Amino acid sequence: MDWILDFYNYRVVAQYLPEFARGLGSTAWISLLALAMSLVIGTIAAIMRMSPNPLLWRIAAGYVQAIRSTPLLIQIYLIYFTLPALPLLDRRLDELEGGIIALGLNAGAYMSEIIRAGIESISRGQVEGAMSVGMTYPQRMRYVVLPQAFARVAPPLLGQTAVLIKDSALVSFIGVFELFGAGLVILNERLMPNEAFLTVAACYLAIYTVMLSVTGYAQRRLGGAAA
Amino acid sequence: MSSQTPIVVVKDICKTFKIRGRPPVHALKNVTNHVDKGEVLVVIGPSGSGKSTFLRALNGLEPIDSGSIVIDGVELTSPKTNLNRLRQEVGMVFQHFNLFEHKTALENITMPQMVVLKRSRGEANEVGRRLLDRVGIGDKEDSYPSELSGGQQQRVAIARSLAMTPKVMLFDEVTSALDPETVGGVLDLMKELAADGTTMVVVTHEMGFAREAADRVTFMDFGEIIEEGTPEGVFDNPQHERTQLFLSQIL
Repeated sequence: MDWILDFYNYRVVAQYLPEFARGLGSTAWISLLALAMSLVIGTIAAIMRMSPNPLLWRIAAGYVQAIRSTPLLIQIYLIYFTLPALPLLDRRLDELEGGIIALGLNAGAYMSEIIRAGIESISRGQVEGAMSVGMTYPQRMRYVVLPQAFARVAPPLLGQTAVLIKDSALVSFIGVFELFGAGLVILNERLMPNEAFLTVAACYLAIYTVMLSVTGYAQRRLGGAAA
Repeated sequence: MSSQTPIVVVKDICKTFKIRGRPPVHALKNVTNHVDKGEVLVVIGPSGSGKSTFLRALNGLEPIDSGSIVIDGVELTSPKTNLNRLRQEVGMVFQHFNLFEHKTALENITMPQMVVLKRSRGEANEVGRRLLDRVGIGDKEDSYPSELSGGQQQRVAIARSLAMTPKVMLFDEVTSALDPETVGGVLDLMKELAADGTTMVVVTHEMGFAREAADRVTFMDFGEIIEEGTPEGVFDNPQHERTQLFLSQIL
């Protein structure tokens, strides 16, 4: 059984458990905040994209195109280094803020396209039913259209969330300590890539598994019997 | 009943559907009509006659090109009118129910009350349960629309409308999508509502219902009102050729 210790020295991994725990917590926290941000931005962008007002839908379309056509790593650098250079903020963003904002903006563009597909899949009859009892546009969206739209596109949203969580490794490039960073610690101090990255990969898998069950629950809550 | 001011006054309304590459369709041509308080107006006519467009115009779901619609003194077509506010007073039941698929039968009735009328959950539940009992499906409050038959869904839809205590109820071919065995029950429920003094405008192909429940019958064809009168008058002694042709085809 010695080969196992050669291939993957779990005793060393155990020594670095605090680093991995801190990295896991950090990745989960960054992803959660970026996810929340991306869902809010995605919903707003999706609604703007469907607006008859050309100014609104052009802004939303431009945002989606800009995000889709540039690498995330560059977006992260732009948010972290370039955005504070504009005379908008009177302070620098710290790494964590910059990373979360960049990830949220990036995922928001992809989320908005998914959410738009969900909204467009809700039949006109649902909207007319809501109109017939006197619900206003925001009420129709909030209580009738969006819950059903989100339930319907929960699987692709989940897929995009998985991408977001994995992409969060890139914020280590602006110095945020997270899961990937924890792996780098073992790599640098012990020169043990297996221990570093198998462990990191297992942690990402664990996050994904938790997320799967949460999504199933949310889908049932939003979608009623149909979902 | 026609001594008081009508609840609905429709004057000279026109509506043209323009579809690119095809000749425009004149769905409504100078239609004038009214509905008194407590009256049941039944609109009949062949497919494409404009009767559904007429009905949908009454709560602004179908914007009209010209003319005026006044609901209980409020001018529907005026830009100053809050359409959402007005729709609270004009209930509508659809051919395909349009129940909220993600809500249970009871929630379908309580949610609009809480959101639009700002009723408390307790009050909305009380109204909802009473109405579900009234439409005969009090035991189905926790069922989702997908778990109910067409007839049951339509009963929920009627209850959802009634919960808003509308001044007038619009019924748009509400039995056309139902299985034959559930049609009678829904029509009976509508007759009960009519007997209770509900002001109703009913677009239907159910001539038996029209004859029994209507105070007045309007026959429409090609976007125009061709003939109107009492059910006896229209059904037993139609004056216009097109009415006669239509009735001979369907009766």
